[in-house]
Amino acid sequence: MANVLTVEHLTKKFAGLTAVNDLSFTMKERTIHSLIGPNGSGKSTTINMCTGSLPITSGTVKYRDEIISGRVLHEVASRNIGRTFQNLKLFGSMTVEENLMVGMQAQMKDGILKFLVSPASAKAEEKRANERAMEVLDYIGMYKYRNETVANLAYGQQKLTELGRSIMTAPKLLFLDEPAAGLNPSERVEFVKILLKVFDDGIDLFLIEHNMDVVMNISNYITVINFGSKIAEGTPKEIQNNDEVIAAYLGSQFKKK
Amino acid sequence: MSDKYKKILMVLIPLMIAIAMPLIVTDNYFRGIFIMTLIYIIVVLGLNFITGLTGQMNLGTAGIFAMGSYTTALLSTKLGISPWLTIIGSIIMGLIIGVGLGYPSLRVQGVYLALTTIGFGEIVRILISNFKFTNGIMGIRDIPAFTIGSFSFDDKLARYYLYLVFVVIMGVVAYRITNSKWGRLFKAIRDNYEAVQAVGVDIAKPKVLAFTLAAIYGCVAGSLYAVHMEFITPSVYTFDLSTTFIVMMMLGGIGSVPGCILGAVVCTILPELLRDFGNWYWIIFSILVLLVILFRPNGIISFLKTRKKSVKEGVK
Repeated sequence: MANVLTVEHLTKKFAGLTAVNDLSFTMKERTIHSLIGPNGSGKSTTINMCTGSLPITSGTVKYRDEIISGRVLHEVASRNIGRTFQNLKLFGSMTVEENLMVGMQAQMKDGILKFLVSPASAKAEEKRANERAMEVLDYIGMYKYRNETVANLAYGQQKLTELGRSIMTAPKLLFLDEPAAGLNPSERVEFVKILLKVFDDGIDLFLIEHNMDVVMNISNYITVINFGSKIAEGTPKEIQNNDEVIAAYLGSQFKKK
Repeated sequence: MSDKYKKILMVLIPLMIAIAMPLIVTDNYFRGIFIMTLIYIIVVLGLNFITGLTGQMNLGTAGIFAMGSYTTALLSTKLGISPWLTIIGSIIMGLIIGVGLGYPSLRVQGVYLALTTIGFGEIVRILISNFKFTNGIMGIRDIPAFTIGSFSFDDKLARYYLYLVFVVIMGVVAYRITNSKWGRLFKAIRDNYEAVQAVGVDIAKPKVLAFTLAAIYGCVAGSLYAVHMEFITPSVYTFDLSTTFIVMMMLGGIGSVPGCILGAVVCTILPELLRDFGNWYWIIFSILVLLVILFRPNGIISFLKTRKKSVKEGVK
């Protein structure tokens, strides 16, 4: 299987603090790859560097055969790489439907002049985007909330809206920064179901997550970092039996017999 | 009544009032106020793109307005170009300002952008006050009226209807853009620009587009102002004027096309109606503005809007 993501010697320094230190790992095609580690270990910094939200200090990030490190967020996103954020980033004053429609914006190619002189073309383009938004809303179970202003929704629904907006960009690889955080158990179960559906539909997933039930149940491969450096990688079973990971992060209750 | 008919009535009723007003109020002074209202509507519709929708504070609108006025005044008086053609000159000037002001402003945000735009407005005012070819503080006089064949729009009634046509065209364009993918994108940038980037959109382009639209609207309005006044001086294009445009937008309804129109109408006509209160009229007007902004932060237009369906009503 080909590599989707190749991270080599990735380093991030904030003044005197080295947040990520010489981190290297690869993510294979058709896998759910998780990055775990204690708070402050550099997980979000890693995702932010991979997606162009944060400039890197040194190292490279490759998406398939193309080096994407050094590119900014929108350039990375335009390569069919989607992401969600640890602290939700939504368009709070807009409806759920509008939030999703913005996700399709980069695929709506008509310029402003064409829009002004050709109302029919603009209408057709808008209709296509709207139909796609309706499909995705149905897919994530948010259709009935489509006309609600996002700021008025519950946290779980806001998370789904953010996921839906990412799906609208037609990603091939999706970075998810703590997708299950803040969800109650039933919401979490629903969210995981949707994530698995997304994966089954051909989108590779890279996730950061603290909930070990989620990580161990859905991941194909896990990379563990502590103090910005990799301490282990392997299948969920291998990670659960890795003494260093147990000591640094998991605790003995996760050890698999 | 269906939403469609409501929408049609919401357009037709104000339009009919606008058509009837100068026929009901025949006083030339008030007809002049009505013309100024139309000019201000165009400016505020433009300002709404950049400040109302995109959330980028622009306090230099008077500078844009001045550039439009002087483009028309100079082209028509010095080069003898028809005022109609100077409107095209103004649109080109708007494009230049939009790109010239838009790209540098990508590096600054919030209060810094506000200061940058104040700087732009002041630089324009100081330059036109000191350049020889703009005739300094003496301004430019004898700006010709619009004409079609032998018919001249120098009569206030004819000019009012001509300017109303401009307002209708520019209002329709503003409404269409606001309710399109562009308007949605502008609002998205205002709400969370990083999320816009995360869906693969380079926010530089829509931001510059919003600046350019604001500049084109401001410049065209400036042109219409110059032709209407026949005589312009730099003393008009002050920081006070820029803040007045902001007040119009906020009072009417920030981000809303009908709100902007309503704001410009109220802020131009209400002070005139309050003139009977003598020196008190500005205080009364200011208190009214403050009350609206405090209690109806979405502007006067929010009185007319119906409540959106609640979650429960939306669930089938």
